[in-house]
Amino acid sequence: MKRRDFLKGALYGTGGTMIAFGGFGTLTKLDPKKAAAAEQDALSTVFSTCEMCTSRCTVALKVKNGKVVKAEGHPNDASTGGSICARGNAAPSLLYDPERIKKPMLRTGERGDGKFKEVSWEEAYSYIAEKLKNVQKQYGGEALAVTSRVNPNDIFFRSIARAMGSPNMFSHEATCPMTRTVALEATFGNPYIGADYGNAKYIITNGRNFFEGIHVPMVKGVMKSISNGGKLVVLDPRFSVTAAKGEWVPIKGATDLAFIMAMANVMISENLYDKEFIAQYSVGFDKWVEAVKDKTPAWAEQETGIPKDKIVQITRDFAKAKPNCLLEYGWRTPWTGNDYQLRRAIMIVNMMMGNWEVPGGYFRKKGAALLKPYPELQQYAKSLGGGMVQPAFPKPAKGRIDGTGIKGTPGQVIPVPDGAVGQIPESILTGKPYPIKAWMVYRFNPVISMPESERVIEAIKKLDLMVTCDVYMTDAAYYSDVVLPECTYMERYDPMIDNTGLTPKFQIRQPAVPVVYPDTKPAWQIFKELGEKMGYGQYFPFKDMEEYLTKQLAAAGLTLAEMKEKGFWVPPGMKPFFMRGKDPKAPAPTASADQKIQIFSEELEEATKQGIPEYKHYPQPENGKFRFIQGKVAVHTNAGTHNVPVLNELMPTNTLWINSVSAGKLGIKEGDSIIISAGKYEHKGIAKVTEGIRPDTVFTYHGFGRISPKMTRAYGKGINDNKLIPNELGEVGNVVSSTTFVTVRKA
Amino acid sequence: MAKHYAMAVVVAKCIGCQACTVACKFQNNVPEGQYRTKTPVVGPKGTFPNVSMYFEKQACQMCQNAPCVEVCPTKASHYNEAGVVLVDVDKCVGCKYCLTACPYDARFINKDTGAADKCTFCWEARVSKGQVPACVSTCVGGALVFGDEKDSNSEIAKLLSKNKGEVRKEEFGTRPSIYYIFEGVK
Repeated sequence: MKRRDFLKGALYGTGGTMIAFGGFGTLTKLDPKKAAAAEQDALSTVFSTCEMCTSRCTVALKVKNGKVVKAEGHPNDASTGGSICARGNAAPSLLYDPERIKKPMLRTGERGDGKFKEVSWEEAYSYIAEKLKNVQKQYGGEALAVTSRVNPNDIFFRSIARAMGSPNMFSHEATCPMTRTVALEATFGNPYIGADYGNAKYIITNGRNFFEGIHVPMVKGVMKSISNGGKLVVLDPRFSVTAAKGEWVPIKGATDLAFIMAMANVMISENLYDKEFIAQYSVGFDKWVEAVKDKTPAWAEQETGIPKDKIVQITRDFAKAKPNCLLEYGWRTPWTGNDYQLRRAIMIVNMMMGNWEVPGGYFRKKGAALLKPYPELQQYAKSLGGGMVQPAFPKPAKGRIDGTGIKGTPGQVIPVPDGAVGQIPESILTGKPYPIKAWMVYRFNPVISMPESERVIEAIKKLDLMVTCDVYMTDAAYYSDVVLPECTYMERYDPMIDNTGLTPKFQIRQPAVPVVYPDTKPAWQIFKELGEKMGYGQYFPFKDMEEYLTKQLAAAGLTLAEMKEKGFWVPPGMKPFFMRGKDPKAPAPTASADQKIQIFSEELEEATKQGIPEYKHYPQPENGKFRFIQGKVAVHTNAGTHNVPVLNELMPTNTLWINSVSAGKLGIKEGDSIIISAGKYEHKGIAKVTEGIRPDTVFTYHGFGRISPKMTRAYGKGINDNKLIPNELGEVGNVVSSTTFVTVRKA
Repeated sequence: MAKHYAMAVVVAKCIGCQACTVACKFQNNVPEGQYRTKTPVVGPKGTFPNVSMYFEKQACQMCQNAPCVEVCPTKASHYNEAGVVLVDVDKCVGCKYCLTACPYDARFINKDTGAADKCTFCWEARVSKGQVPACVSTCVGGALVFGDEKDSNSEIAKLLSKNKGEVRKEEFGTRPSIYYIFEGVK
């Protein structure tokens, strides 16, 4: 009888005191109402900013007896409505995971043997400092590359590279939205452009999968649009959850630009666009007219596989909703070599709808600086300040390995904070333009997040020094020389988080509990201490993060105590601000030099000779081959959460989606073991036979098939998509995710 | 008038993100590998490219004529003062009659307590204090609506007055308190 088991555990888990156990059969149960009240009293709330992904939702962490027992959405935040996603909810599962790295680790065996010893922070810092100094002496400071997933501690991480004289600082963005950034900078002068989904009446998305690649405020917005009767059209080779909520148009992969250009063609030939808007706010439209004049729906039908009548009908209906219509600009956007031109064309067609600075359209993020010209708004907010003043860094002796910043080349438009991260393994392996000898990664796992995993590993093995700072013994950590254990977001302060949208918005990240594992540290502290060890203390002129935050906030007229109590700050009383919200002729300057929307971009013309988007035809898979595409799933974050116990339990592995007709031809049935071959590389997997994908395409969810055995739950489970994708650099330094073809056979 | 707590699942708004699934686990300390609620996919149905798919939240249906209460030999399964079906872990002997009786497969034996377990509408920790259940609070798509069905001013009463709320396995006569609204589901 299971009745006996009852006595083994407390009803409310660790720390619970609601039921007191005596001996066998004697248990004192509190009156339920009193028990509930007692439980409530013991709960305290700490407001913070989630980091289970990087969308930075505000959260309320519930703490009981010194433990985070639950994560909830911040009840006062209108953008989330108090919701958080499955990953956000799973935060305590990460916090208390015994598989987190608990102490600094130093490699003792060969790289990839998995042999490490625990060392003190002092030993770890000394080891890194000595190795870096040797690299600097032998090859120059530029032989160090650093890469992180964009986050508020980058300033400290990158200070190490800057102090050493290295220009080679990279974000993960070339593997994700960098082509969109390039397009937005070229078109609007900066990339700080948001979309007002909630008020849109018609949304078209090329592949952006709102409902699986979850950003809570955006999900809320798109859902509001649909619920109010808005139309959602989803162009995607795969039937995603987003496609299920709208009209699915299964476009051929890598042809999205043809669809967009045909939309423009129809809008021009049928006079469906906002001519007055284009005349007042943009430059270079005539060149776009020329570029799309032969991009007819009939032509686009050949490219995309979408019937021309369908293209015309979607375009007409979309235009009817102008200016409250959105052609989604994308999220993870490294599909093809010229993806940036797809993003450019998308924004140009948007601007043809005049959906700029109006509800249901695109807008500039309204930081305090943007409010200055508006007398009625300028009192609402002041900008956050810096938390420290750093002395000047030495000028790097050489340019970057990826050519970022070189005028007259594509490097001119590669965003300087991002760079072309795919160049790092190439420079390590080929020594061109000069060798990289040391690589430090922080919250970034190149083995899984960059294409061609085996080539990345091969590159890491050639380094003089590989350092990983993370919360798990990730796949990159597994091949590292030194592994530095960061504490989780629930145990630390970070610099202020600016999450400005239609109003300014500042958020705090603050510890809800002391560090669970005493030898883990916040990243700012790790890099500050490492910097001090290396003699770079002058670049870290602050005592601790409270002091740093206090300075940042003082500039905005706010206090740390206030932020800690409220969790986030928006200007009281300020309404969402659209520059053309009241008057469609009102000034709505972009950040470009002439303040206009650059339909033709002089800068791109200079950099890539493509001031106006040009169509590039990419081959389609021949018979027997499939285009290999990948995507996000709601319960996991990129390569970040697959070992988190509760999330791993929900989805421990992935499958390869294959169309039922295609599978039938290959004799493959649902659940069969298969081999996916991309030629040079092969991967085992399990088939998911479905009607929800084009017959010429296969799909898998990203982030599985983990290589590090030290993440026991995720290790070896499923398909690592990036094992199969070659490390190719796109026209503006992006990785290229969706032009790989594979064959599939039964295992 | 006595309250009748009910939940509406607006299926068109559910994106299957499992935020509810995870929120419930932490709110109620549900053991590893066990769930009081889950939201599995239904479909895709149809043939490429004409396919459809939706998600359907599963949990205790909070029957007003609950077979689990009826079969329970120790009266551990009971209706509380607000009509919510609960299990008194103190009285439960783990006989599993209720697991068999439940037409919705909503019950399980909790690995930690040895007692029958299921959704409680978060009665003790939340609803009894005027809050909504954890799943409703965190629902990203805004698909879950909870409240007193008998209060004509409540959101759920208004929603159900405008939309047809279907109950699962109506023919069993269990009179569930979970209504599924399928309007707008493709």
